[in-house]
Amino acid sequence: MRMAKINLKTLKNKAKKEIEKAKDLKGLNRLFNKYLAKKGELVLILRSLEKLPKARRIDIGKKANELKNFLKIEFEKKSQGIKEKIQKETEEKEWLDITVPGKRPVWGHLHPLTITKRKVEEIFQAMGFSIIEGPDIETEWYNFDALNIPKEHPARDVWDTFYLKNGWLLRTHTSPVQVRYMEKNNPPLRIIVPGSVFRHEATDPSHEFQLYQIEGLMVDKKISVANLKAIVGEFFRRFFEKDVRFRLRPDYFPFTEPSFDIGISCVICHGKGCSVCKKSGWLEVAGAGMVHPHVFKNSKLIPKDWQGWAFGFGLERLAILKYKINDIRLFRSGDLRFLTQF
Amino acid sequence: MVFSYHWLQSFFQKKLPQPEKLAEVLTRHFAEVEEVNKKGSDFALNIDIRPNRAGDSFSHLGIAREISAVTGLSLWPEADKYKEIKNKKAGDFISVKVQSKKTCPRYSAKVIDNIKVGSSPKWLQDRLRVCGLRPINNVVDIANYVMLETGQPLHAFDFEKIEGAKIIVRKAEKGEKITTLDGEKYDLDSNVLVIADKKRPIGIAGIKGEKFSGINKKTKIIVLEAANFNPQIIRKGSRKLNLKTDASLRFEHGIDSNLTEIALNRACYWLEKIAKGKPVSGLVDFYPVKVLPKKIKLDLDYVEKLLGIKIPQREIRKILKSLDFKIIGKLVEVPTRRLDISMEEDLIEEIGRIYGYDKIPCTFAVSSLILPQKNLNIFWEDFAKNILKEAGFTEVYNYSFFGAEEAKLFGYPNRNEGAEKKRSFFDYEEKLIEVENPLNQEYKYLRPSLIPALLKNVEKNQRYFPEIKIFELGKIFKSKRTEKRMLTGVMTGDAFYEVKGVVDLLLNKLGISDIWYDEYEPTPEESKLLVWHPKKCAEIKTNGQEIGFLGEVSPKILSGLDIKERTVLFDIDFEKLSQLASEEHEYRPISKFPAAVRDIAVLVPRNVKIAEVLNKIYDTGKKIIRDVELFDIYEGEEIPAGKKNLAFHIIYQAQDRTLTSAEIDQIQNRIIEVLEKEEDWEIRK
Repeated sequence: MRMAKINLKTLKNKAKKEIEKAKDLKGLNRLFNKYLAKKGELVLILRSLEKLPKARRIDIGKKANELKNFLKIEFEKKSQGIKEKIQKETEEKEWLDITVPGKRPVWGHLHPLTITKRKVEEIFQAMGFSIIEGPDIETEWYNFDALNIPKEHPARDVWDTFYLKNGWLLRTHTSPVQVRYMEKNNPPLRIIVPGSVFRHEATDPSHEFQLYQIEGLMVDKKISVANLKAIVGEFFRRFFEKDVRFRLRPDYFPFTEPSFDIGISCVICHGKGCSVCKKSGWLEVAGAGMVHPHVFKNSKLIPKDWQGWAFGFGLERLAILKYKINDIRLFRSGDLRFLTQF
Repeated sequence: MVFSYHWLQSFFQKKLPQPEKLAEVLTRHFAEVEEVNKKGSDFALNIDIRPNRAGDSFSHLGIAREISAVTGLSLWPEADKYKEIKNKKAGDFISVKVQSKKTCPRYSAKVIDNIKVGSSPKWLQDRLRVCGLRPINNVVDIANYVMLETGQPLHAFDFEKIEGAKIIVRKAEKGEKITTLDGEKYDLDSNVLVIADKKRPIGIAGIKGEKFSGINKKTKIIVLEAANFNPQIIRKGSRKLNLKTDASLRFEHGIDSNLTEIALNRACYWLEKIAKGKPVSGLVDFYPVKVLPKKIKLDLDYVEKLLGIKIPQREIRKILKSLDFKIIGKLVEVPTRRLDISMEEDLIEEIGRIYGYDKIPCTFAVSSLILPQKNLNIFWEDFAKNILKEAGFTEVYNYSFFGAEEAKLFGYPNRNEGAEKKRSFFDYEEKLIEVENPLNQEYKYLRPSLIPALLKNVEKNQRYFPEIKIFELGKIFKSKRTEKRMLTGVMTGDAFYEVKGVVDLLLNKLGISDIWYDEYEPTPEESKLLVWHPKKCAEIKTNGQEIGFLGEVSPKILSGLDIKERTVLFDIDFEKLSQLASEEHEYRPISKFPAAVRDIAVLVPRNVKIAEVLNKIYDTGKKIIRDVELFDIYEGEEIPAGKKNLAFHIIYQAQDRTLTSAEIDQIQNRIIEVLEKEEDWEIRK
């Protein structure tokens, strides 16, 4: 009996020492088998107890179990230690040059005009505007006469037009859709009209013969200039994501009265004056005005019953300002060196 | 139009704001001053006067009136008193006959005797120069000066050169010729209005004077013309002769008939002062229908409702008065020079701009809550573009035009050559739409396809990018007036299957699952052949209809466009696609039962289509096969000539049970049987 007790003590000391000395998981595993496996030393001791009286057996048995648990913990601790050491060593050995460029997934690019158009559409949709489209090939009636631009009127020269041999023309602005839409839909209405427009003019870094325009139209019983200002101001703030100032100044369009030019404080120099805004601090970005009574009439609405405003601006112009693009012709150049930057 | 700051100052007793400051005020309330340039001691203001204000503002006096209205500074009273020779009457010298009062609503003339032609004083020359005019002699200079001052073009004739002392305003006759003051010769016809004497034209009405009846050093008596012509006839004549002048510019926009007399008086004042001229009493004046001021009703409530701000009545009165408008009860009387004002909204614009648009608040409209409608066209466009972007394609925008040379290369019919018709894939109806006035030959037609421009994009970019993947979603145009959206993409390289995979992905993501590809074998008449490689082209079909094409570009087109690499295209009718697209998507439960994979390799003749093999496998396996993956196609060494080896993973899985291996073996053996039944097919074991 004393033997067993002493054996337990020696066993504990011996095992502890050996566990401490173990160098790797393999050795540790061997020790585990030596002491704790089915035929291990501790089991053998426990077996030898069978011959002892019951009371002693319980006492030593309890101690042996404690030793078993103790050793299990020791093994666990040692195993953890060895694993950590190994991991640390591996980590020490490995090294990565984190300055090597990353491998990008292949990803395409949307055209800057698409990105700009989506942004504009999103802002106006949030303000309750529906998006409406119209044809690129127009009649003289919708493009001019219905918009109060009669034949032989000098104003007609302002819109240099591509005429087609089939008798139609390419629309010079998105405004014809005002009439097309109002013919079929009664106010109140709130729409924006994105689309291509065409101007017969020579190109240079700031002129293009095919442009993307967005028209806006809001008509109800009491729509005023003040309402136009509110929507326009909100739009520019959201679009440029900064507090852009804007102003209306007198302008002339045959299909609006009064008519305005909308300018915003230069987004490049913040209104201080630079080459982009020609030192004025202002950038013209849109034409606008209150819908002319003749346009209502030509849309089969009774002018006295309705008031509304309309505006039109070029998407290229907005994209140029937003991305600081220096040549308008890049948009339709198909040049991937340009397009892959967006 | 350019204006002299000094000249503008001369209309005011008080000092004007500094040029830059004045420019800003005018820009805010009137018209944009685009530039202010120092010219000697003077400043030239370049003002972008909009066409509606040409009638009253293509003149220094007009601008001065605007300055007065916006600054509150008052104008000097006009100084145009001069002495007339009492015992001579203009009508005794000359008579005027106007053929049509429609083309010439007014013709006024003064006769001035005792003219001493010489050069004008420096101050006058300086003012002309600032405005871009070249001084000539005092008479011509004064005529120009008064035009710049009042906006009324004037013309001086040498009285002695007018045959028969008679001025006739008439249409030119075919065959008549004229030599203008600058020595240029013009052939006239009935589109052109002329001023003629008894024998010949002595001026192109409203456009330019004639050489021999003009002023020279010996001129003693002049006839000074101030007329009003119909804008359209001047416009037509100016276009016909391709001749634009300071006079024609003003007449084209229309001016006030009542201005002729005012301008003549100004001119007589200066001729007396500067050229020692002695105006003869009276005016020769053809003016059958006098233009009277318009009276327009103004409702103050409407002013508030339209502008969105209540402007005090006092303020409104002040503004109208500052513009020389008279208030008569509820009516506003507008000076005849303001041709742009004809209705209430025009008056409201005047009130608004002078009051200042800056003072109008930003107020959101109170309006019924109408939710915006979803635009499905745009929704699906965005959707499709996103998919292609994620598949690595870059979006391009090309012009909607198409050149003559490309039309030829791509085999589009030339209208004038009936023989070409046969080679076209168009129905005869589907002709190209031709531009009447193209910018150049490169943009002669509207594009009937997105393909040519995309291929040109490839050509341009191939120097910089080893692989090109681009697409465009845009309109194409066909006669008579068809506009249709197409979605077209290009990828360089031997990439047929990659592009096919992209099309599959695109259609699947758009909710279209029922897709198949038919071999496309065009008949010789169809010139789609010209674009597509005849052996590497497929029709994309879904739900029993063709929605587009997929294939390699033919070597002929590649070499025609100088594209170095093989190029694969897809060309899809986006109108059809967006009709078929659907957001509906149903989840298929993941089977709880394990899947088993068996491989099969089959040796088949080269021309056997994969689809044929796949169909046989699926048909035999029915519901137990979840998927069949082709993982290898091999031809070459170890394979008999004319054959190819196809290797498939067959994935077996049932939704309701675990398949036993005996069950799988049975099906697998049946598949082998079915495949081996085909002549020359052999299962590789």
